[in-house]
Amino acid sequence: MNIKAGPVNILIKALLTLMYAIPILWIVLTSFKSSADVFTTQASFIFKPTVAAYTEAFGPELLGALKQSILIAVGTTVGVLLFAIPAAYALARASGWLTNLGLGLLIVLQMMPHTTNVIPLFQIFGSWGILDSTLSLVVADTALLIPWATMLLRPFFRVVPVALEEAGRIDGASTLRSFWSIVLPVARNGVFTVGTLVFLLAWGEFLYAINFFLTPGKYPLSALIAMQVGAFGINWPGLMALAVMTSIPIVIVFICTYRLLRDGLTVGAVK
Amino acid sequence: MTTMTQAPPTAGADVRRFVATPVRPSSPVGGTQRRKRLDPARGGRRARMLFLLPAGLFLAVFSIYPLIQLCRMAVSDVTPATLGAAWKLVGFANVVKGWVSGATPQAIIRTLIFVVIVTILGMGIGFAGAVALRTKGRWSSILLALMVFVWALPPVVNGSVWKFLLGENGLFNGIIMGLHLADRPVPFLFDPSVALISVALVNSFAVIPFNALVYRAAMMNIDPEVFEAAQIDGANRWQEVRHILSPMARPTSLVLLVLTLVYGFRSFDYIYVMTAGGPGTATNTLPFLGYMQAFVRYDYGLGAATSVLTLLGVLVLAVVYTRSIRKEEGE
Repeated sequence: MNIKAGPVNILIKALLTLMYAIPILWIVLTSFKSSADVFTTQASFIFKPTVAAYTEAFGPELLGALKQSILIAVGTTVGVLLFAIPAAYALARASGWLTNLGLGLLIVLQMMPHTTNVIPLFQIFGSWGILDSTLSLVVADTALLIPWATMLLRPFFRVVPVALEEAGRIDGASTLRSFWSIVLPVARNGVFTVGTLVFLLAWGEFLYAINFFLTPGKYPLSALIAMQVGAFGINWPGLMALAVMTSIPIVIVFICTYRLLRDGLTVGAVK
Repeated sequence: MTTMTQAPPTAGADVRRFVATPVRPSSPVGGTQRRKRLDPARGGRRARMLFLLPAGLFLAVFSIYPLIQLCRMAVSDVTPATLGAAWKLVGFANVVKGWVSGATPQAIIRTLIFVVIVTILGMGIGFAGAVALRTKGRWSSILLALMVFVWALPPVVNGSVWKFLLGENGLFNGIIMGLHLADRPVPFLFDPSVALISVALVNSFAVIPFNALVYRAAMMNIDPEVFEAAQIDGANRWQEVRHILSPMARPTSLVLLVLTLVYGFRSFDYIYVMTAGGPGTATNTLPFLGYMQAFVRYDYGLGAATSVLTLLGVLVLAVVYTRSIRKEEGE
């Protein structure tokens, strides 16, 4: 089928292009401006580019935040997949009241506002004395994303033909064995898609980080941005430079997984 | 009860779907899979239930137990001093306090306005974008990639740049002042009556790529012969959208509608970054109000009570969501 673009089509695409290109362009442009340029010619393209914002932002603090971001995002991705994959498989294959109860609970949990979870978790982590630790942040992020990841993974397991497993079972494979060596490889696209999405979400998470870490010294990059953007007299070039550096890993992940995201996101349609 | 299901994604799946997928008018997204399956072996069932156990235990400790704590806090007097000690039971005093002060009803109205804006724009522009992005060509594929990329960026990054663009000296005010459309810069984020709408617009911006992507996938699943037949009958482009694309995308719309409602309802990151709930309380939606009460005013009991109210909203949406999925699957 060959659809030709009509004038309305072109108009919509032009508007969308402006809408999504301008913010990206502005992040990058502003990060190369000097603080003085921001206030005099903020809306213009003509300025003397400088890397001052980057050199100022770069230092042990930034590297520390980068390390925290990587730890949290990787830790959360591993944690979520570890719990969500078996749960999604079980919920994809079984039926009955327990499955329905589980699914209902997951739907409610995945819809819970983040701001609601943070209040009791702060209290619980406080009473257990595990605030201000990277591990407890990973645990909190993992708990936040398991319901959503499980719901997103389930359809990928449902489309794995049962006949494949039956064949495995006839050959004497246990449930665990047939899951590991038959089902999981077939559903690997789903696992990669969900893993990527969990990584992206954990990379951007900041609400738990700014509340559970008691000092900015342990903040990941996203929390640093959230802190700086709320301050009075924002240093815009510095903030945008920080935004660019925070986004570079996202660019890399995006380039590697774009096809997967484009086709896989629409499968579970849960965000 | 399942989520939206579809054939597993493979590289170049759109193209293949084009050629090979037979017509499934009733469910363009959820069609390619058998609905009911027999359990392959009864013995495997118990073993498979064990697969649920790790996630179940983990969520019981870190999701369900916190929810119980939240409900307990909501009916107690909890301050930073008593956070780690025994709480005094106060019953519905927190809920009443929030309601009488006007904070809760105001936040509910704001949440409604916010959700309506995000849903209408997110669905409308998402659909229009999908129609436009169906066309093959370099522009469409680059634009789609750009939109998905922006969607994948951390909300703090998108929120920061929009705060900058909408600022007093930002791009939008630069254009407005340059064209002499107003005497003074428009206070997009500093005027109580404008700020909520500004943040809702940016939230719509953030959800449109996802909606466009899902709509596009639904449209790609429509048999090309349908369009050919329509063209032979002399249908114009608008009639194609009106009589083929919209009805065919209806089951997708239903699920997407609930997802967008939920997205708007639980949204807090753009509010946090762009206005921090202000000016004053102008952008305190219900979930955000609960957070502010707990972590800015340090009244954890009040914040918990407000959060329990948002929980009721979530329960309603969850029921709607479950029903729309059932409907979509034709159960």
